[in-house]
Amino acid sequence: MASPMRIRAAAKDGVTEVRVLMSHVMETGQRKDSSGAVIPAHFITELTAKHNDRLVLAAEFGPSVSTNPYLAFKFAGGAKGDKLVVSWVDNKGDSRSDEVQIA
Amino acid sequence: MSRFSRTLIALLVAGAATSAAAWERYPGIGREATPAEVQAWDIDVRPDFAGLPRGRGSVDDGLALWETHCASCHGVFGESNEVFTPLVGGTTQKDIETGRVEALVTGAFPQRTTLMKVATVSTLFDYIQRAMPWTAPKSLKPDEVYAILAYLLNLAELVPADFELSDANIHAVQASMPNRNGMSTDHAMWPGASQAKGGIGNGGMPDVSNVACMTDCKKDVVIASALPAYAQDAHGNLAEQNRAVGQTRGKPTGAPAEAAAQPAVGAAATLALAKAKGCMACHGVANKLIGPGYNEIAQKYQGQADAEGRLVARLKAGGQGVWGAVPMPPQAHLKDEELAQLVKWILEGAKAQ
Repeated sequence: MASPMRIRAAAKDGVTEVRVLMSHVMETGQRKDSSGAVIPAHFITELTAKHNDRLVLAAEFGPSVSTNPYLAFKFAGGAKGDKLVVSWVDNKGDSRSDEVQIA
Repeated sequence: MSRFSRTLIALLVAGAATSAAAWERYPGIGREATPAEVQAWDIDVRPDFAGLPRGRGSVDDGLALWETHCASCHGVFGESNEVFTPLVGGTTQKDIETGRVEALVTGAFPQRTTLMKVATVSTLFDYIQRAMPWTAPKSLKPDEVYAILAYLLNLAELVPADFELSDANIHAVQASMPNRNGMSTDHAMWPGASQAKGGIGNGGMPDVSNVACMTDCKKDVVIASALPAYAQDAHGNLAEQNRAVGQTRGKPTGAPAEAAAQPAVGAAATLALAKAKGCMACHGVANKLIGPGYNEIAQKYQGQADAEGRLVARLKAGGQGVWGAVPMPPQAHLKDEELAQLVKWILEGAKAQ
């Protein structure tokens, strides 16, 4: 199980700005370890963000995204106290979902 | 830690004795510092936590303060790589157990973050209290420094999210600093006696031997090569392209700037104000540094009647995006009339006289 994501969401003038710091190795599958063996790929493939139950962001991630990815985006709507859920699934089938209240 | 305190106390005693003697040795020059002045200057927090003010602050309080004072440069999660290297990252749970950051040895992390390098939590407290925020150093109260440090330690996964840092439990945090065993004192940078004799350094043995030449020495230094005269100003005036703070200054090159035709009243005073308030740390008069040059700003807003009011509001609240991703922190420590004076001066061409 991966470490929790750090999420901050702040609503201002009807627009909610979301910042997410994920904790993931994001291994590309191209690297080799010191003994020359290929390190197996391990990266996030899908990411979704839901405001209450409304889908506000769906993204496909790939091996070109960095270790511990940082994601910032804005969406129209959202008010203080609303629920925001960010979830990801990786290529090994692991997943992680974290929830915050919009500040 | 006891070896630190013993040596530091010895140094303090020695320092106090010599400074009193020095003061009496030069009559008519200067005056003795008052106890209040000494107290105001004496803000350092040492590895043995001598000088640590009393106070407390929670991670939650720290988050609110962080977003106000710190996030514009360091990022909400201390991850920003825009102005400075990230504060956190590159440390593992294993590092916290061993007290030695493995990534510094293996190079597994592309950068050296603050939490990878720093050995003592007292240094973080001291630095935040002494130097942060950049635009208004020493403006944070002890409780605020505790709260900000608690949030930073939480980002580094050293303390839980419901943690409250205080002068009582900061000692315990030191025991989990990822690079606490990564500092060596076995070199001449450290004062006092060698470790064998109870000191902290190596007794002042230099790392290199620079022997003064006594025979057959060169009489004059001959510069073997230099930038030819026609190329001196190939990149404009180098002195103007470097910040007025820090070690690198830059040589004045190129043609000297033409004197302003019409000296503006009070322009010199405004330039001094801009220097005093830290504006020149990020902005140049005629060139871009971290932020845009005043000449660029004046050009962009030329002929816009409402520019003055908009810029005053922007200085006060801070902003980001007009000149790139690096944010301008809010300048709440400036008075409204000072902001208006600065904006007027910038829009009139930021003249020196």
